Amino acid sequence: MQKQVRKIEKLKRREPKEAVDDGARYKEIGFMCGLEIHQRLATREKLFCSCPATVAAESDKTIGTISRYQRAVAGELGNIDRSAEFEELRNRKFTYRIRECHTCLVDIDEEPPHGMNHEALGVALSLAGAMDMRILDELQPMRKEVVDGSDPSAFQRTTFVAANGKIMVNGHTINIPSLFLEEESCGIVAGAEDGITYDTDRIGIPLVEIDTDPYIPTPAMAKEVALYIGTLLRISGKVQRGIGSIRQDVNVSIKGGARVEIKGLQEVEKLDRFVENEVARQLKLLEIRDALKNAHASVGEHKDVTKLFEKSTVKVVTTNMQKEGAVFAFKLSGFKGMLGREVNPERRLGTEISDYAKMAHVKGLIHSDENLDAYGFTEKEIHDLRLFLDIKQDDAFIIIAGSRGNAKRAAELAMERAKYALVGVPLETRGVHNTELCTSKFLRPLPGGSRMYPETDARPILLTKEQIDTAIKSVPNIERERKALLSEIENKGLVDQLLLSPRLQLYKTIIESTKADPNFVANTIMQKFTELKRGGFGVEGIDEQRFVDLFAAYSKKQITKQGVEELLKEMALHKESVADLITVKRLHRITGAELEKLVRDLRNEASDPSNVNEIRNIIMSKNRLNVDGSELNALLAKRS
Amino acid sequence: MYSDKLRKLFDAGSIKIGDLIKVESGDLIFEGELMPKTEAGHEDAIVVKLKSGYNAGVMYGDGVRITKISSGKAVEFPLSNPKMAENLPKVSLLWTGGTIGSKIEYKTGGVHMTVKPEELFYYIPELPSIANIKFNQICEIASEDMSYHEWQKIAEETADALNEGARGVVITHGTDTMGFTASALAFMLQNLNAPVVLTGSQRSSDRGSSDAFLNLIAATNIAANSNVAEVGICMHASSSDDRMHLLRGVKARKMHTSRRDAFRPINDRPIAYVDMDGRISYVSEYKKTVKAAGKVTANTKFEPKTALLKVYPNSDPEIMQYYIDRGYRGFILEGTGLGHMPVSTEHPGKSWLPYIKNAIENGAVIGMTSQTLYGRVNANVYRNLRLLGNAGVVYCEDMLPETAYVKLGWLLGSHDNKAAKELLDKNIAGEITKRVNYDEFLV
Repeated sequence: MQKQVRKIEKLKRREPKEAVDDGARYKEIGFMCGLEIHQRLATREKLFCSCPATVAAESDKTIGTISRYQRAVAGELGNIDRSAEFEELRNRKFTYRIRECHTCLVDIDEEPPHGMNHEALGVALSLAGAMDMRILDELQPMRKEVVDGSDPSAFQRTTFVAANGKIMVNGHTINIPSLFLEEESCGIVAGAEDGITYDTDRIGIPLVEIDTDPYIPTPAMAKEVALYIGTLLRISGKVQRGIGSIRQDVNVSIKGGARVEIKGLQEVEKLDRFVENEVARQLKLLEIRDALKNAHASVGEHKDVTKLFEKSTVKVVTTNMQKEGAVFAFKLSGFKGMLGREVNPERRLGTEISDYAKMAHVKGLIHSDENLDAYGFTEKEIHDLRLFLDIKQDDAFIIIAGSRGNAKRAAELAMERAKYALVGVPLETRGVHNTELCTSKFLRPLPGGSRMYPETDARPILLTKEQIDTAIKSVPNIERERKALLSEIENKGLVDQLLLSPRLQLYKTIIESTKADPNFVANTIMQKFTELKRGGFGVEGIDEQRFVDLFAAYSKKQITKQGVEELLKEMALHKESVADLITVKRLHRITGAELEKLVRDLRNEASDPSNVNEIRNIIMSKNRLNVDGSELNALLAKRS
Repeated sequence: MYSDKLRKLFDAGSIKIGDLIKVESGDLIFEGELMPKTEAGHEDAIVVKLKSGYNAGVMYGDGVRITKISSGKAVEFPLSNPKMAENLPKVSLLWTGGTIGSKIEYKTGGVHMTVKPEELFYYIPELPSIANIKFNQICEIASEDMSYHEWQKIAEETADALNEGARGVVITHGTDTMGFTASALAFMLQNLNAPVVLTGSQRSSDRGSSDAFLNLIAATNIAANSNVAEVGICMHASSSDDRMHLLRGVKARKMHTSRRDAFRPINDRPIAYVDMDGRISYVSEYKKTVKAAGKVTANTKFEPKTALLKVYPNSDPEIMQYYIDRGYRGFILEGTGLGHMPVSTEHPGKSWLPYIKNAIENGAVIGMTSQTLYGRVNANVYRNLRLLGNAGVVYCEDMLPETAYVKLGWLLGSHDNKAAKELLDKNIAGEITKRVNYDEFLV
């Protein structure tokens, strides 16, 4: 195990040239990795009703809310004790906001679905064509049980559309075993103790899910594949853009570890780091397991220790005590030092266990590898607890406070997870924990296979040859797209960057709607954009129309190249229109007669009117953002 | 159903629905369970349930190979067999089918009627803590297929259950014609001194969002704990899982094809609300249970030769003659507005008046209701109405057309035409109210 850890540490420190060896190294640790890419389609209507298939703007009023409860009906729900899950769900209130224009009865489970949207099906078919897939003869809409309330019907409609595809990415063949057409879920608005509020605007927007097989050889390759599929989706021109419109789920496992699904990665650029961290986490967990086994570690039963803390001044304890809460604790024999072991940056085994406890709505847990003084525990309290739990030199303990029911349940969940530390890596669905560190956290146990049954309210779809032929005609093609870009942009590297970038469509829109030079546009939205983003300017929040206005102003000679960059910064900070910002920030380009006048006036004032350089320097130092250097040069050359 | 060709092929390979099979079509190879064919799909498309849970349809044709891997296993539903608490109120649960009684069999998608109480208690574990429930499946029928025969059976079973000691009865029913059945029970059950509650669901109980659970819990609560001595319908009061309302059966109508809160009181207020905690709040007058009442009897005679007709512009009144010729004794007409029908002689053959007069001369009873549903019919406002009134049409006050239809059929079941006519516009079970209140519109 130690050897493996060293290997992976080395791997992480690798030089770029070593990357070639990644494949072999990951192969050695039994690395398996597959992607699921979910992309919202840009169709006019939703998949099973006629609501607009867009996320609602603020102007679409919320005309009411409804509240619902759901039950687990389709059988057991994964690894957690079913009855607990059942109870949990039964008492959980979900509130749904109803929008004036984006919600109809179908969305809130008050009307059966209409027929499947043809436009969405067409897009799915053409994407299948692009990945050389076999389209199924008769499509069978299914219901996939969803138990988190994100779907008012408690299921998501999903249809298997095509199988057996493949793509070539950097010389590797990646198999695409399936493409699904499904419904988007509700967006969450807020979570409260007594339930969750969802917005129903986006429910039912068509999504395609594209899955790869689990044999992507390296984390770097996983990112490449995600970028490639992202590009393919974008160049179809039929997908939505913007935050949340594409989500990557990645499945990772290593030899001796377990399949873990990290859900909802939105920044594809960081996908490789998330995968690397997951590999590292699994290796650490295996290392901890071995150490625990050597120490003959075990997990004790939880005990009610409320009495020991009746007079406590520790905040987490007292807050709960006031509400007639309880404190539970349990012993972890032979765990000393293990709970504090880091498994990922800023995440320890204790954090992993805490994630489970939090499922029972407690704030978290306290463990003995932490600095207990910092919590404010008295020596006596700890002494009594150690005595009560019979904590020895090599043991550790965990304390959980909360309402009686929650604290007890949390202790049970924490014990379950702690026991699994002796087994290895639990099968989990995880979510993003920290986007900077690229770490994940436990969300729920990995479901033991989706619970699915036929959507009896929607008919199976027998595809006609005509439907398939029409779709194949509009198959997106990356090579064709690259050629088209190369005819506009000189820099080949820039073309490749743009092709893989989510900003490709933005580029196209700008080129279609303005006369701005493609090279300048591409350079600005790729390189300048990244520079500004690194410089802390929130340029990613600027909407498309303002970009179009910016480049339109530039191509109409209202601003200079330097002015464009400056204006971008201003646009990131202020909501005003581009025209207003040009005026307010005095970014108007001085051009033509105005520039001539400026030159003339300076010449008259200058000590040596023939010193072109001096005049240029004076003008540019005062009007760097307003005067185009080449125009000035031309003018000066003409006049000198 | 699969095509003959495929069925023969399956037989030859002794492949049954549910068996694990392999289907090869070119480079496509699927392994999974053979699914039954619903009426919606193509008869030659072989549907296989894959390990992932998805179904895939492969069209049978040249080069398609099907091989059996292993036999399938029967699907078993989870069961729960709780002990009934003797100290809780005795409630009889009569099961008749409908959406509430059906659930999808997860593998095949086939509709399965929940008939075992153990299955029901598994999905609604709250029920045994509300009442000591006796389960009785009467029939398994969709509500659109219900007839007066079922009404009679349900009425008899209800009376038996009450006479055998149940303090209330819950009847699960398809929603489409629940209002008809509720009305029939309201008239048929004589000397009723207990809550009789019909309930159903608009979403089938196989989905986690079904309204079946809360509706059944609320209905059971009413049957176990209320002092209502009427036949009521208990369903969602709003689209939210918030509270359920108990509506007077003779005044309730399904007013939406699919919403949970489809049942509304018409010319009436709800009798009570049941909230999520099971608390019952009474909000209007109702008939209360009394101590030491006698036995409930079921007078279930019904005259099937009763018709409900709707008039509309261009409607052909000769339809009445059709029924008269077939010996029909009673008609409920759904007139326009205050209870109008075309009576003008300007459009020959379109006036209903001669047909109505003829029917009445033949001894038939004719009742007038309104297709506006809300409000009261009135024979005195317009001349055309007076013509009808004079002809002997009974104006059915603020009664719902469907309720009037059931009432007339029931009256004709045990009375002669004259007596039935006399009773048609007299209140028997709350179907006619003298006052229609301001707040009873569109609630």
